Amino acid sequence: MSEKMTIKFTVNGIQEKKEAAVGQTLLKFIRDELHLTGTKEGCEIGECGACIVLLDDRPVNSCLILAVELDGKNLVTIEGLSQNGEMDRLQQAFIDHAAFQCGYCTPGMIMSARALIDRKPEPTDEDINEALSGNLCRCGAYQEIREAVKDASKK
Amino acid sequence: MLSYEYIKCTDLNLAFQELEEGKQVYPLAGGTDLIVGMRGGKFAAKTLLDIKDVPELKVLEENDRGITIGAAITLNDVVNFAPVRKNIPILAEGCHSVGSYSIRNRATIAGNICNASPAADTAAPLYALEAIINITGPGGERTVPVREFFTGPGKNALQKGELVRSIHIPAPYPEGKGVYLKASRTGSVDLASVGVAVQRWGDKVKVAVGAVAATPVRAHNVEKAINENGETNWAAAAKLSCDDISPITDIRCTRDYRFHLVEVLIRRGLEQTMGVK
Ligand SMILES: Cc1cc2nc3c(=O)[nH]c(=O)nc-3n(C[C@H](O)[C@H](O)[C@H](O)COP(=O)(O)OP(=O)(O)OC[C@H]3O[C@@H](n4cnc5c(N)ncnc54)[C@H](O)[C@@H]3O)c2cc1C
Ligand code: FES
Ligand code: FES
Repeated sequence: MSEKMTIKFTVNGIQEKKEAAVGQTLLKFIRDELHLTGTKEGCEIGECGACIVLLDDRPVNSCLILAVELDGKNLVTIEGLSQNGEMDRLQQAFIDHAAFQCGYCTPGMIMSARALIDRKPEPTDEDINEALSGNLCRCGAYQEIREAVKDASKK
Repeated sequence: MLSYEYIKCTDLNLAFQELEEGKQVYPLAGGTDLIVGMRGGKFAAKTLLDIKDVPELKVLEENDRGITIGAAITLNDVVNFAPVRKNIPILAEGCHSVGSYSIRNRATIAGNICNASPAADTAAPLYALEAIINITGPGGERTVPVREFFTGPGKNALQKGELVRSIHIPAPYPEGKGVYLKASRTGSVDLASVGVAVQRWGDKVKVAVGAVAATPVRAHNVEKAINENGETNWAAAAKLSCDDISPITDIRCTRDYRFHLVEVLIRRGLEQTMGVK
């Protein structure tokens, strides 16, 4: 049964109305229907954080959410952070600190960190560890990631 | 792609009807157990009934009878609720130890206990606080103490058509400190190998343990030694826990190691809450 439902939502500031298959995850919907491939697919069981997006301002694992649950909500993906071609300061800080090697975890990391700085403009190390507790980095760039988040929160 | 029907529910009566009449209808709260479980073939859901926007389930309040946490309230919202932090911080600790920050933005306490894993991290604190589970269904409302809510691994006391409406922690709150100590293989995003809740109540104590039996359990032998027989040697009291638990060996650790962990964590919990002797 690949029944479809019409859902209305906002994605990166733009209102949208689309058909979503019942049974499709929000992660697949973002990548395959909205064609926003910055959001990554890793484990698909909530453990790696590559798929983290902001739903009504909160970082959530899009692999554990159904596309139809997006109805009426506000979605922000990594593509939504830059403004008028200018990168978000967190994105710039990740580059400045070389806070990645392969970069696969980066979109999820940045979305978790963005939400942290929005709710707590001057986070401590402990706050950063908590906020990024669901983001794995197989390349082990944790130290640089923490530095980048701290740097971005200072500005 | 998974195959099922999805119903967004905003009316409790509609929910009861679907649950009573439908086959394989599963309430969907945060989905953090349900969606993983469906993918792994653990749940054969035909219909998902999304209850997280039902107004009656979004209650989060404190009054003179205690604290009430609606079934649609996320773990992060419980952790950040000032009356919980102030009066029953042990529950904030239990909620905070679940998964990761992003998981806790979706996961609920109700989902945690309905899923009824013996390792559920909110369970031991709820046992030590003697929480009450408010159940709602087509026949009206009823309440059960949390220790009767868990009936076996993955099994709970809900009848067909029923939902957990809220979790209630009755006042008066415990006088004294409470701690939740979780042993797991990694610092975050892992289930408990064992979880121990030690809650001081004046000069008495309540001790609950998860992941060591078919349901979470109270460590009655430990409690009796301290509360009734005046034992103040915490290491000696903690040893008695071996008669309260019946752990198994699984991928997280062996039965023997669980016996050891429980004894150590109960001793530490007693030291932290009742004072070092
Ligand atoms: C990566 C990851 C890490 C995790 N780590 C932990 C951990 O460390 N500790 C831990 O304890 N758990 C952990 N979990 C499990 C899970 O997050 C928790 O059990 C969570 O609290 C479940 O809540 P939920 O709202 O997501 O439930 P859902 O998945 O929505 O539901 C769970 C079950 O309860 C039923 N249900 C939900 N609400 C109700 C209701 N009101 N009435 C009746 N039935 C209902 C559903 O039908 C389903 O069967 C983890 C999960 C993931 C994916
Ligand atoms: S893909 Fe969602 S957490 Fe790994
Ligand atoms: S940079 Fe490769 S996983 Fe983090």
